[in-house]
Amino acid sequence: MDDSRPIYLQIAEQLEDDIVEGRLPEESQIPSTNELAAFLRINPATAGKGVGLLVDQGILYKKRGIGMFVADGARARLVAQRRERFREQYLAPLLAEAQKLGIAPAQLAAMIQETAR
Amino acid sequence: MSVIRVQNLSKRYGRSSGAVQAVAEASFTLDENRIHGLLGRNGAGKTTLMQLLTGQEFADHGTIEIFGENPVENARVLDRVCFIKESQRYPDDFRVHHVLSTAPRFFADWDADFADELVERFRVPVKRRMKKLSRGQLSAVGVIVGLASRAPLTFFDEPYLGLDAVARQLFYDVLLADYSEHPRTVVLSTHLIDEVSNLLEHVLVIDEGRIVIDADADELRGSAIDVVGTRTTVEAFTAGREVLHRAHLGSLATATIAGLDEAGRAEARAAGLELEPVSLQQLVVRTTGDTPGGPADRTNGGRA
Amino acid sequence: MSAVDAPTIPHATATPAARAWRIVRLLTANPATTVGWPLGILTLIFVMNWTVWWLLTRAVGPIGDGETPDGVRFNGAVSFIFVYMLVVAVQAANQSFPLALGYGSTRRAFSAGSALAFTLLALGYATLLTIGAWFEELTSGWGLHGNFFRTIYFATDAGWPAQWWIYFCWFVFFFFTGTIFAAVFVRWRATGLSTAFALLGLLVVGLLAALILSDGWAALGETLAALGPLGVASLALVPGVLAAVVGHLLLRRATPRS
Repeated sequence: MDDSRPIYLQIAEQLEDDIVEGRLPEESQIPSTNELAAFLRINPATAGKGVGLLVDQGILYKKRGIGMFVADGARARLVAQRRERFREQYLAPLLAEAQKLGIAPAQLAAMIQETAR
Repeated sequence: MSVIRVQNLSKRYGRSSGAVQAVAEASFTLDENRIHGLLGRNGAGKTTLMQLLTGQEFADHGTIEIFGENPVENARVLDRVCFIKESQRYPDDFRVHHVLSTAPRFFADWDADFADELVERFRVPVKRRMKKLSRGQLSAVGVIVGLASRAPLTFFDEPYLGLDAVARQLFYDVLLADYSEHPRTVVLSTHLIDEVSNLLEHVLVIDEGRIVIDADADELRGSAIDVVGTRTTVEAFTAGREVLHRAHLGSLATATIAGLDEAGRAEARAAGLELEPVSLQQLVVRTTGDTPGGPADRTNGGRA
Repeated sequence: MSAVDAPTIPHATATPAARAWRIVRLLTANPATTVGWPLGILTLIFVMNWTVWWLLTRAVGPIGDGETPDGVRFNGAVSFIFVYMLVVAVQAANQSFPLALGYGSTRRAFSAGSALAFTLLALGYATLLTIGAWFEELTSGWGLHGNFFRTIYFATDAGWPAQWWIYFCWFVFFFFTGTIFAAVFVRWRATGLSTAFALLGLLVVGLLAALILSDGWAALGETLAALGPLGVASLALVPGVLAAVVGHLLLRRATPRS
């Protein structure tokens, strides 16, 4: 658990990660709030808030009397979201660090190609 | 729905020069069915506040409403309250099983099976005299009573003193699990903030009798951030911002800033400053400490 | 999710009688203290006394026949139990009070419950002593003309109910005297208690002085003799009940850790 951000956000992100990386397939059930809370050792209300956030975004939905499930198309939506954020979340810091070290963008591009091989 | 409502509560011990203002004009509201943390240094007023709320101490002035009524000598309210304090005294002739057999009479929701289970998990010797228990075992008994009572309003006053790290974690785990299944209002006072910070939903910080922080735990988390860099950069950046704490080592300086939004953080990074998270414990320490850069320095802009 | 949004279950609260009763159970939680030990020690003292009478009888002759001192009638051994009950009351008020408050009891309920507990104990022990006295009569002094229960302070010829009443009054007196001293201690701690004792001492000395100086001493002796054990015991109820009331008033502003 990161100290710098609200826990419920971190819960939501963890669940999103699980969905994007395929650990939580679409239409599968996620652990209950109490299970999450017990496992992560956090307050169930906080866990609920994190789940609620994803419900609001349409990533999860509730089946009455059963539990929370991953919505259809959730993964695709999350991937799209992350692509948009990719630039500021990963590229900007990468460029800033490269600049500090005196690596020009063109050099950087070459490094990326090399590493990707 | 608020279960506790306090206005201008004050309590002083002693007279004139030796007097201690244990609680000073405290006003706050606690919502039902949440886990509230009452944080502060030793002697800050946590225990006195809880004793006032449970009618064990008498306030000098101010109002307290618990379940909508004044709790003092009020059986209707007190029947629904359980207050476990670390210094609870027991009759000399009591053994552990006497505590476990008398407590249920006072708590209508007592769960005997749960109590038995906890006795085993905390390894409490049931036949031993209360006087002969170790500090940790005494705390364990208090914790067991507090948990098994299932009282709608349960106060835990530093209940883990003497418990080793394993037993403490057990307490947090059991509290969480039971709270999930049997929601109730829990007020937990502690100075081991980092250990419980994930459990809390709402935080009250008390310092020298005054409530200095009253906030949602999630909002509080991440509300303060450390900026680290050269003194000049830090000072330039902090001008006009609320600074909670400053420190410096040679030409390196750090400042704890409250409420830095995304734009502010980007600005900091652009200025070449590093951003570091501030844990709840650090936040509380910096707000209530009397080290240089403490409360006296909590002004916009502040001086170095 | 829904777990933490559940509404509070409406809570049934106890009746005043139940609240007083649970204090009674709190005070008698460990029966060894209120029943076991006192009975045990009383039995022991009785056996010791009986042995002494037996030895006396063997060595000198039957008690009370002129040769053997009549002093056994002044045997104060049974008073032990009264003093013990005073100590129980003191312990209760001092030690059970913080726990009762810790469990969420009101001070009112604690006072009522203590009073009830002590009254019940007084009833029980008075009955016990009366039965003992009855046996004593039946066996003509335990076969040795001994006096354990029906000593000169307590014996009456006014019938068994009167005998029971005497014991009962004294128990009430000792219980509530203990309560009030404990209440003083709980409220004002050691300083308070010392002051209370000092004041009481002064009062007693003052009264004695007044009596002696006004030659009322003889009159006092006559009155006491006229009242007899029955009268004196009944009189002892007055300070007993008074102590109970004042004790409660003191506890109303007492805190567990004053």
